Amino acid sequence: MKRREFLHGIAGAAAARSIVSPGLFALPAGIGFQLRDVTAQAGISFQHNSGAYGGKLLPETLGSGCAFLDYDGDGWQDILLVNAMDWPGHKKQKSTLKLYKNNRNGSFSDVTRAAGLEVELYGMGVAVGDYNNDGFADVLITCVGQNRLFQNTGRGTFIDVTKKSGLLGRQAFSTSALWFDYDRDGLLDLFVCNYVNWSPEHDVFCSLDGKHKSYCTPEAYRGETCWLFRNRGDGTFEDATATSGVFDASSKSLGVALLDFDRDGWPDLLVANDTQPNKLYKNLRNGKFKDVGMEAGVAFSPDGKARAGMGVAVGDFENSGRAGIAITNFDNEMVGLYRAGKGDAYDEISLPSGVGGPSKTTLGFGCAFLDIDLDGRLDLAVANGHIDETVRNIRGNVGYAQPPQLFLNQGGGKFREAAGEAGAEFAKAKVGRGLAYGDFDRDGDLDILLTTNNGPAYLYRNDESSGNRAIRFYLTGRKSNRDAIGAVVRIFNENELQMRMVHGGSSYLSQSELPVTFGVGKRDRIERVVVDWPSGATQEFKNLASGKGYQLTENKDVVAMQGF
Amino acid sequence: MPERQKPRRSPTAGLLAGLVLTLVAVLLFAYYMNGQLRGLRELQSNLVDRNRKDSLQLLRAQNDLNSLALGMRDMLDAREPYPLTAWTAQFERIREDLDAAVKAEDSFAPMQRTAEQRTYLSQSLAQFWAAMDRMFALAGAGKEKEAREQIQVSLQARQAALSTAVARLLIQNNEAEEQATAEITRIYDRVQRQLYLFLGAALLVIVLTSLYLIQANKKIFAQMEELSSQRSELAQKLISTQESTLRHLSRELHDEFGQILTAIGSLLGRAGKQVPENSTLREDLKEVQEITQSTLSKVRGLSQALHPVLLEEAGLEATLDWYIPTVERQNGITMHYEKSGTAFPVETAAGVHLYRVVQESLNNVSRHAQTNEAWIRLTYAAHELILEIEDHGKGLRPERGQHGIGMVAMRERAELIGGTLVYEKPDEGGTRVRLRVAREKVQAHGG
Repeated sequence: MKRREFLHGIAGAAAARSIVSPGLFALPAGIGFQLRDVTAQAGISFQHNSGAYGGKLLPETLGSGCAFLDYDGDGWQDILLVNAMDWPGHKKQKSTLKLYKNNRNGSFSDVTRAAGLEVELYGMGVAVGDYNNDGFADVLITCVGQNRLFQNTGRGTFIDVTKKSGLLGRQAFSTSALWFDYDRDGLLDLFVCNYVNWSPEHDVFCSLDGKHKSYCTPEAYRGETCWLFRNRGDGTFEDATATSGVFDASSKSLGVALLDFDRDGWPDLLVANDTQPNKLYKNLRNGKFKDVGMEAGVAFSPDGKARAGMGVAVGDFENSGRAGIAITNFDNEMVGLYRAGKGDAYDEISLPSGVGGPSKTTLGFGCAFLDIDLDGRLDLAVANGHIDETVRNIRGNVGYAQPPQLFLNQGGGKFREAAGEAGAEFAKAKVGRGLAYGDFDRDGDLDILLTTNNGPAYLYRNDESSGNRAIRFYLTGRKSNRDAIGAVVRIFNENELQMRMVHGGSSYLSQSELPVTFGVGKRDRIERVVVDWPSGATQEFKNLASGKGYQLTENKDVVAMQGF
Repeated sequence: MPERQKPRRSPTAGLLAGLVLTLVAVLLFAYYMNGQLRGLRELQSNLVDRNRKDSLQLLRAQNDLNSLALGMRDMLDAREPYPLTAWTAQFERIREDLDAAVKAEDSFAPMQRTAEQRTYLSQSLAQFWAAMDRMFALAGAGKEKEAREQIQVSLQARQAALSTAVARLLIQNNEAEEQATAEITRIYDRVQRQLYLFLGAALLVIVLTSLYLIQANKKIFAQMEELSSQRSELAQKLISTQESTLRHLSRELHDEFGQILTAIGSLLGRAGKQVPENSTLREDLKEVQEITQSTLSKVRGLSQALHPVLLEEAGLEATLDWYIPTVERQNGITMHYEKSGTAFPVETAAGVHLYRVVQESLNNVSRHAQTNEAWIRLTYAAHELILEIEDHGKGLRPERGQHGIGMVAMRERAELIGGTLVYEKPDEGGTRVRLRVAREKVQAHGG
């Protein structure tokens, strides 16, 4: 047993004792929550199939993603897990997407077939958004080859509308994607990241020893432009890649996040690129974007190197009203953590924040800002795992399977890695890729969904014991897109401010739930909540009790829910 | 009268001159070093740093030119389903960065670059952008084929020329940097040589100054020795004179005044017998006779104090046997007088000095030691005579440079008889004066 695992074991055992018999052991309060692996208990049985047969084809190392979504509109978060498949000519098993319906009792039912999603494809990522504003979540699956758009019928089933929507024929090595309304016309548009110009036919031979084939690094391939598809509102999309200015064939994009870095109310995009400069696409409010990554200081590492950007998360971790950024990178490159600096620029604070040090030997993929302990400060969760099974032979301190990390926000721009304290099962080393959060049990705290490459998916239930309270908001747009993606919610308590944006995408190949959750500590009320809708409308509500959820419908009064 | 000795020349002036010389040399060297360092700094900031910054901008430009080349390759590949205008934003980004790089490069351009060289890059780039704008204009007008021809015919060639120009400038910078490195090495070598030279000169000055100091010190010590010897001689003469004067006075008092007073006493005695008894005159004469007798005793005491005749008549040991109880009686100090060894006669001249040492030491005990006990030891050893006077009082050791005249005199007396005198501190505290003198120096012969 490794020392780290041993220590995690001790932490887990100690936490277990404190729960079983709180009065018996006078243990310290701990971190106030535990992440428990409830995958099997919840009835989730998923195995990712990378299709690896020994051909060492590049996409095998990268998949795949996951999503929390409420596909049936019952207010309970369901789960979608993306899968790849065997390569042509090496067919051994059938592997498909998996859709798990929330049974509202902590368990899930596999409804893949019934929902019409038992489809074999070389899936990578997922983006969930109600692009036709019918009140039901539609799903885009990014693939190696043809991406697929599944429209939600509202009757518990999906239909493949790839061709009908006009997305058919665009084939690439797509990775992360997100829905957002870049022209603020109330319709969700689609942004898709593409990695490199790869196909099985044009696979390049790379080798570490000169004899045996190994996985290539992205330098071996040409880049591929990201795509932007504008929603025409008639169920079809127009390719706006070229006209919007996001076309860049040198990009090797893996992650994308929605943000409004210049606070002008127009959605901007941050794209994480692998071995190429990251892009910060500023929305010019005229249907065009301009890359200002270099000026903003997010394109390169502080020493001027284009890092291997994988996943990306955006969140106001300083409670300053301005969103910071986290970008996961290759091992030896650290997680890039950026705080909003002067003007519209960012300052890299990985090392001083305490995030850089522990992430030096990890290869990060999925990542998300979430207030895991409901203390009012956004924490950072990161899924780690290497792409090279033999990495231990080359770099002794780096493993193939790596523990996920949970950086607890200590305030003052400082974080503390506490995955081991949060749960031995959570901190167990795995080849992590996708990561998403959502409150599947509607107890107010955020649970974590994590996928692995060529391995199982994990569901970690957050068991809050600190007594910290949450307040959740379910937003519905009317003039704005129905999902209210891009809406900014700010809560105020005395002089304290917290901010969340309703967003799709982010992390890596994954999507978290759309409702926004605020931790408010021991407060039983919040003074004020202000919502800036994508349409430009602003609403304000006062004196809301915490410990429950609220329905916020654009230009309507707030509706309190029973519980979350 | 002996010729008055000329005052010797003080070494201070020489030393001051040496110091001034050294300071001037240090200042001159510091000035020289400062000049060299300034030159180095200028060379570094004007050439090396400038070159480095310039090269960085050239590398940035080279990178942008490579991106342009890749972009043009993709445009010609027609791999993408987009029109050529799709590349506009990508090329605009590169254009912004490349223009900024060339502008920055111009501000850092090394001095030796010609005006023609300085303008070539910006002019070529302007021509490239003009051609690119034409190409995008053609593409925008739907003339994709003509636009692609423009890339092949004009843009790619211009990009290649620009790339070559940038590479050439990078090579030039590299060569300039090598020259600067060589110049820096030359400066370092020169400074090193000068440093060795300066160190050698400084060493020489130090050696010469040291030699001069040694010589001057030798002279000073010789002078001090001579002075000391003169002083000792003078002191000894003083002591001899004092002793002979005291001896003379003592004899005069004893022999002359003693006899006169004895005669007066006898005469008064006889005269008294001739006067009738119970007469006033007889009483008066008797009183005068008693006064005369008392005066005679005092004169004899004074004579003894000035120079104990006993020394000459009975020797040192007997004198001490008389003197020590006398002092004990007079000063109330308990004296522990010890004699050991086989006594031998001490020559009178030496005995006087030994007696004086005892006298002075006991005088010090009574005046300064604040004690009422003293030990006197006279030891007749086989080859020497040892005289010790010890007390356990507060100690007599005087402060540095404040030796009492009495103590100086004791040392001189010891020297006069060829002995050594030391002051010691007994374990019990106080002072021990120890005089050791070789037997042959003090033993009386034939007596």
